[in-house]
Amino acid sequence: MESLKVYILVANRIYNDGIRSGLGLAVENHYAYPVIMNGEFPNMTEYMTENIAWIADMEGQVYSCGAEAPTDMPEGSEIENISLEELGEKMRDADVIIPFGMPKGSHEPPAACGG
Amino acid sequence: MSDEKMKILQVYRSEPTSDIETLVGVLNRDRDADEFKLYLDQPNYDVLVQKIYAADKTVCWW
Amino acid sequence: MAADANKFGIFVTCPQNMRHILGLTQAAIRAGKEVMIFFTFKSVHLTKSPEFWELAQLIKTENLAICTDSYICEGFDHEKDIPRGLIDKQMRTQAFHGAVLEQCEKYIVM
Repeated sequence: MESLKVYILVANRIYNDGIRSGLGLAVENHYAYPVIMNGEFPNMTEYMTENIAWIADMEGQVYSCGAEAPTDMPEGSEIENISLEELGEKMRDADVIIPFGMPKGSHEPPAACGG
Repeated sequence: MSDEKMKILQVYRSEPTSDIETLVGVLNRDRDADEFKLYLDQPNYDVLVQKIYAADKTVCWW
Repeated sequence: MAADANKFGIFVTCPQNMRHILGLTQAAIRAGKEVMIFFTFKSVHLTKSPEFWELAQLIKTENLAICTDSYICEGFDHEKDIPRGLIDKQMRTQAFHGAVLEQCEKYIVM
């Protein structure tokens, strides 16, 4: 099958598993572009940074839209900044667009979420 | 398929945010665009399936 | 997508749209389509809703699966607590999502 360009939009901090779903498609020979929206970044565990690097190895890319990407990512797992307009233009060429999980909550998480 | 003739369907599970409206504006540009609001009461799923099959591409927003 | 026009795919990523998933599946079947669905991440909680069993009765075994890793991550036991309506071979990996994209000409995210 032809390789598809797949954008996975993550708008809610809980749903960064969209990055793993992107990797799942990358290993199926698709181009995966997970996009973390408005600073809803995951905890950058070793597992997460390895997944981000693996997506890049498979000719995909993880983007940050609406907030500056972390600058202290391990080599090979860099997250690229992209504006909303640039993202829209890139997604015009997408085969599949996946708004993943849930939208962003309207309140900051309470301390109870921290653990 | 020429870009101009692409039929794109935007499906909304909740009221679109300004970010979504911006992205949809770019995605729909110069295309034959349609939409379906799932967040309204009693959506007609038969109509939604018809729209999906009429479209070249469907995006279902949060 | 070079895929089967008769197949309709649903990729479920959110735990709160069971009404839409069931409604869409029933409508697609009425339209003569074969439906293929993959549940991932927190959407696996939907397997515990009464409508999930109803959904599972509408879909061929080979066309319905959930992500085993997600199920385990959410605290469920993937061997002793297989969701009602599924059998063990429907506990799959993200590769099943790839199969949905490969086989289904039309596709929606829920």
